[in-house]
Amino acid sequence: MADDDVDVVIVGSGFAGSLIANELAKQHKRVVILEAGGGVPTNINDYMERFYTASVKVPESPYPPSMFDEKGQLSDERNDPSKMAAGRPTSLSVGPPDWADGSKSYLVQNKADKNGKWLTPFSSTYERVAGGTSHWLGTSLRLVPGDFKMKTLYGRSVPEFVDWPISYDDLNEWYGNAEAEIGVSGNVEEQSFLGIKFPSGYAYPMPQIPESLTDRAIRDALHSLDPAQTAFLGMEHAPKEIKVRGLPAARNSEPYRGRRACAGNSNCIPICPIQAKYDPTITLNDALNHKNVKMMRHTVASDIIVGDDNRVSEIKYIRYRLDENSKVVARAPGSIKAKIYVIAAHAIETPRLLLMSTKGPHAANGVANSSGMVGKHLMDHPYYVAWGQVPMTSNPVWPYRGPLITSGVGDLCDGPFRSNRGAFRVDIGNEGWNFVIASLAKASDPNVTTIDFINGSNRSKLNPKLTSLFGPALTGTLNQNISRQFRIGFLVEQTPDPNNTVTVSSKFKDGLDLFRPEISYSLSPYARSGIVAAHKFKNLLFQKMGATDFTDVSDDDPTRWTETIDGKQVKLNYTGAGHIMGTYRMGTNEKESVVDSFQCSHDHDNLYLVGSGTFPTGGTANPTLTIAALALRTADRIVKRV
Amino acid sequence: MSDPRHRKAGSQAETGDSERLGLTRRTVLAGAVATAAITLGGEARADNPPTADPNSPQDMDAFLKLSAALTGIAVKMLAPDTDSLGMRQVYFDFLARSKDRAAGLAALLQVAKSVNLPIPADPTLGGIIQQGDVDNLAQAIAAKGDDAKYFARSIVLMWYFGAWYEPKVLQTLATAPDPSKVFVGHTIVSAKAYTQGWLWRVAQAHPMGYSDMQFGYWTRRPEPLADFIATRPAKT
Repeated sequence: MADDDVDVVIVGSGFAGSLIANELAKQHKRVVILEAGGGVPTNINDYMERFYTASVKVPESPYPPSMFDEKGQLSDERNDPSKMAAGRPTSLSVGPPDWADGSKSYLVQNKADKNGKWLTPFSSTYERVAGGTSHWLGTSLRLVPGDFKMKTLYGRSVPEFVDWPISYDDLNEWYGNAEAEIGVSGNVEEQSFLGIKFPSGYAYPMPQIPESLTDRAIRDALHSLDPAQTAFLGMEHAPKEIKVRGLPAARNSEPYRGRRACAGNSNCIPICPIQAKYDPTITLNDALNHKNVKMMRHTVASDIIVGDDNRVSEIKYIRYRLDENSKVVARAPGSIKAKIYVIAAHAIETPRLLLMSTKGPHAANGVANSSGMVGKHLMDHPYYVAWGQVPMTSNPVWPYRGPLITSGVGDLCDGPFRSNRGAFRVDIGNEGWNFVIASLAKASDPNVTTIDFINGSNRSKLNPKLTSLFGPALTGTLNQNISRQFRIGFLVEQTPDPNNTVTVSSKFKDGLDLFRPEISYSLSPYARSGIVAAHKFKNLLFQKMGATDFTDVSDDDPTRWTETIDGKQVKLNYTGAGHIMGTYRMGTNEKESVVDSFQCSHDHDNLYLVGSGTFPTGGTANPTLTIAALALRTADRIVKRV
Repeated sequence: MSDPRHRKAGSQAETGDSERLGLTRRTVLAGAVATAAITLGGEARADNPPTADPNSPQDMDAFLKLSAALTGIAVKMLAPDTDSLGMRQVYFDFLARSKDRAAGLAALLQVAKSVNLPIPADPTLGGIIQQGDVDNLAQAIAAKGDDAKYFARSIVLMWYFGAWYEPKVLQTLATAPDPSKVFVGHTIVSAKAYTQGWLWRVAQAHPMGYSDMQFGYWTRRPEPLADFIATRPAKT
């Protein structure tokens, strides 16, 4: 199709971009997608091969460009952020020691603000590849109604909070549409809590995924509680029981739309080997099967041009080519025009692009930024993890079986306490100490525990006598220990803080000579108090389970801080949940927000900014289902306009 | 949708074959050199270093018994009679491919051949070499010195994770004043090797990213440990 025939240009082919492209395709609109990274592979064999042979199985490990050399070892050369065409943060580069070193970390992260206030890492990552962040877990929760009106409910004591311009009821139908598109397994009764309501007669597309044995152990432990022990939660009534609920997940519990049921590969992150977990390449392929939809891979949008009529007139881009070692060997500029433009490059690359685009008369502060709000209010769900072992006299909990997470605690994520501290939602891991031990041991489990009992070392803290074993003594000891390991995680709510920002670096460039995203980030006292409450909840749970607590914080962890809790000095920390939100938020007030509830720019009426960057507040639910629901609602609006 | 593993297994087999061919060529060369040495010297001297030959049935048998004893897994599980995956050969070849590893393996094979490692005749013991015999082997290995001791640990980790942990790194980890400063990296032998890691079976589970179980298995208790690592007693 010729340039002037294009109805809609979409930058990015992740969840939001793919869903919008496919809805437009169904209505015969002419769509071009600009994808910064590689295209959709014909199958995932190469991804799986790279994962299996990777010496470090981080979330990024399967996806191109490869982080590894031929031996599966991390390659400094391949990961040099100044040379990569479409660089990305990786789980290793957002932690110690490199997080604040712009020569090593793609995200240019500040250690201190202008006033000398100490800043901490933004620990979440994303992919730049067709399908976007396919290394998601699959959890597909709806937000609870209270999450949409944080200012109304709690704004008196927490002035940073704002209300969404829409309510839960406005999204209810779109949530259902999103659940159908991505294929969610869940149970309506189980998900009806804290005011969540479903249309009458509604059923999830597939039955709920069954619970794991770890879930069951935690459910039993929380079944009967002394209200004196739960009063610290600050709920309206101190609970006598805390429910463990199955999580709705975009993971097939039976064959769905040509994909098979989950086989419990315990590998949702980074990759499901049988695509029983939905990822956006599935919808993207549907979209690309329409002849009116075209995707340009290895094409990085570099400049949004606003015309004299204050509408976007074109997007300039750079196309590049890589050799077999992912080195940029050719690049060429280009531009594309359409009637409507959608930026679906999530909450870091989208504001980076808007703020890089400063050429036109209406864009001195960047495109869509008359409010000055673009890039502000960066949020995540700071993730506090804890790990333990049930006693040898108890039944094992048998980790490394089933999807990575099947159940959690959601009933504690709204209540009067939200006037004082961040809410949290609890994840129950089915992967033992797999990644939680890595911040201390600099390696993952079960390897760490196994090496200890073979090699007489004690990085796991399970082998203080430094025993080294062979034969039946070894298999017995490992079986007893590993089968009793478990971990939980807390997704904590942050306030939308104007000082948590994405800007454009003036110093560090990528391999296409574009300046990289610069981050300033720290947790407000509100979020920190949420982590303190999470820590107390962990103590209660472990006590009820009779579990030994192995949770610890590494001395080199740049996120660590110390709190006095119940008279004791406690080290706390957080990691990233990968839930990047808030940097071009929606609202009704054009001075305090960037887009309206349809994710259309207040400034430029043919520009849509989609994804979790539009979330005014973050709640505690994984954002993907809400991203998808909002994307479908936006697509419906765009269809009516072109 | 086709299961990606089916194709992967095919391509892995091809890689394995070509590696084996390359290795055989090198082995022939090494053999030729050894023959020349014997001819020149008249007879092999007693202090000649022991060798590990991937094509020698005796060496393979010693490698398997050594592996089974140290890992605690039945020989017939590591190397079943119908061995479509051929991990014994993959690992032996991997060890023999490098000079250092080949020397380490040869030293251990010599010990394994000198120690009695009976596979229990009683079928209820599942073909697992008994702890007393394992302990004798471990003592004999330890008597050879640190190189042999840590190499034996590396071999267990290879079967457990399909990965090579350098013996020297294990030694550093075990002896460093501050082990938290020691980085313990590894190299995955091959994609197939990762998916055949035995540690996951020891935990009554499966390698992350390679489940051979069916939907919903995780809500039920696993089968007993013996079902994962021992041969089944013959049904009567």
